[in-house]
Amino acid sequence: MNNTHATPARRFDLGATLLTLLTIIAAVIWFFPVYWGIVTSLRYDDQTVKDFALIPMEPTLKNYIFDIQNSNLPIWYLNSTIVSVGVTFLVVFMGACTGFAISQLNFPGRKALWWMILASFMVPVSALIVNHFIIIADIKLLNTHLGIILPMLIAPVTVIVYKQFFDGLPKEFREAAVMDGSTEFQLFFRVFLPMNWGVTTALAIITFIGAWNSFLWPFLAAQDEMMMTVTVGITAVQDTFGVAYGRVLAGAVLAGLPVATAYLLFQRRVTQAITLSAGIKG
Amino acid sequence: MASVELTGLAKRFGAVEVIRGLDLSVADGSFCALLGPSGCGKSTMLRMVAGLESVSEGQIRIGDRDVTHVEPAKRGVAMVFQNYALYPHLTVAQNITFSMSLAGEPKAKQAEAATRVAKMLQLEPLLARRPAELSGGQRQRVAIGRALVRNPQVFLFDEPLSNLDALLRGQMRLELARLHADLGRTMVYVTHDQVEAMTLADKIVVLDKGKISQAGAPLDLYNAPANRFVAGFIGSPAMNFLPARANSDANGLQVTLGAATMTLPARATLAAERPVELGVRPEDVHLQNAGDGTLQGRVAVVEALGNTTFVHVDTEFGQVNVESDPALRLEAGANVGLSFEKNKVHVFDADGTTLPKL
Repeated sequence: MNNTHATPARRFDLGATLLTLLTIIAAVIWFFPVYWGIVTSLRYDDQTVKDFALIPMEPTLKNYIFDIQNSNLPIWYLNSTIVSVGVTFLVVFMGACTGFAISQLNFPGRKALWWMILASFMVPVSALIVNHFIIIADIKLLNTHLGIILPMLIAPVTVIVYKQFFDGLPKEFREAAVMDGSTEFQLFFRVFLPMNWGVTTALAIITFIGAWNSFLWPFLAAQDEMMMTVTVGITAVQDTFGVAYGRVLAGAVLAGLPVATAYLLFQRRVTQAITLSAGIKG
Repeated sequence: MASVELTGLAKRFGAVEVIRGLDLSVADGSFCALLGPSGCGKSTMLRMVAGLESVSEGQIRIGDRDVTHVEPAKRGVAMVFQNYALYPHLTVAQNITFSMSLAGEPKAKQAEAATRVAKMLQLEPLLARRPAELSGGQRQRVAIGRALVRNPQVFLFDEPLSNLDALLRGQMRLELARLHADLGRTMVYVTHDQVEAMTLADKIVVLDKGKISQAGAPLDLYNAPANRFVAGFIGSPAMNFLPARANSDANGLQVTLGAATMTLPARATLAAERPVELGVRPEDVHLQNAGDGTLQGRVAVVEALGNTTFVHVDTEFGQVNVESDPALRLEAGANVGLSFEKNKVHVFDADGTTLPKL
């Protein structure tokens, strides 16, 4: 009996081990440039093209200190924070409100609005970037936080995810609240939104990461160095510091640090959010 | 306290008429069960009384008020839902006082109300828990507490026990009966379980395809069903139905069942012999030796429940369920005869209506 069970178990283990090995190799290949960037940022300038050891012989934080002291990195951080927090709050709040309205309220044009949102989902934002630039320039919002934020609020996927979740709630929750005398606002803020708190946090984290990492629109909208976000600012580091790889890579690490931290802290929520949006994208 | 009066109530979803010109009066303080199979319109009717479903036609009065077009929260009714509809993000206390919280009542008043209701329903140790941490029966009690705290004139229950297991359902039935006795409020209770309706209600309304088939006291419906539908729906195990022919004579109703004939108490005089259907409850059929009785058959299944035994007998008219003495030992395959309590045999006309005894 034991033997007949042992054979398939061994075969399965072998397959799983091979798969694990392959995954590890792929992960090493993927992670090596990131690792190399981090260790290079910890080397002295003259060592970056001489020291090829996996662990730096004389690690230093000099590049980081230099970047922080000699660039606008703190201001870029502040700009990124303002833009990302603003975009996150507005996208999630407006997505939840719109999702609730389309899912739960009866008003003229509800279906038309839903189809418009679905249709807008099919137009890539980069295809509209010239129009965005012209509009934002016309209303004199270039080089302002609001100018960077406004076009980034177009996030139909958030509305779709919320609508799906609100549609999926048993109608008895709504009816019980209505019988208790709830208004639509109370229903939204006190029943529907808190009941979907997991979705809200997941969407907030993924929106924050997306806003922090966004490059093309902030690059166009913020030409003034004092209004740049971190992702845009670090491209200026190269010009500022010439070919000082250590400093450039230290800037890149600093730019990616908040997002990496957010990801590590909220890994499960991010995965949940990606699954949700992936489900929508089909 | 208030009565519920429905007059000419109708509900249409497009071309489909779910409730058809329904009239019903539920007396103040009574416990009325709306009973019927799935899709008969009982839940729709309850939701119309609650205000969750609009009325296509007719009028709803609660007490002396016409509430046909009044908002649900202002009708003086509270509803307990089948799936309880407890908010998972709120504690038991917050769920119970949700309506007070929406109305902006002071926290101290809410806490006092939560404690009072929890005491009535033995929920005191659970006030700080969330619904996910409660058992089915406890959730049910919280849902009832949420209705209680509103101090409504009328309680509406939409199949509140259907998600519970048999044991818990029995316990909750007792608790509901006690609650009704304590509060003395009007209660309207939707169920498809005739045992719940029979044990809890003082009035049962049997619905069929959006119309009232019969309304009355539970035992009246059991002993004198108005038609075949009610006869088949009320009673567990269900009534046996046998095709026969009947004619009136001076002695009463002459019934021919296969080769056998029997005389039943007189019904309305039949002008000529015609096909009818006999209805006999399992407890009104008796087992006889093979060759004796009105009908012959062979035992198919014996269900010994301890306190009673049900014997399913295959006959030329289909299977007949007999409630017999639990001491009787019978094996499947045995030949038996069947006789009927003639006074308890129901006779249904071809259209399903009962031929009442004179």
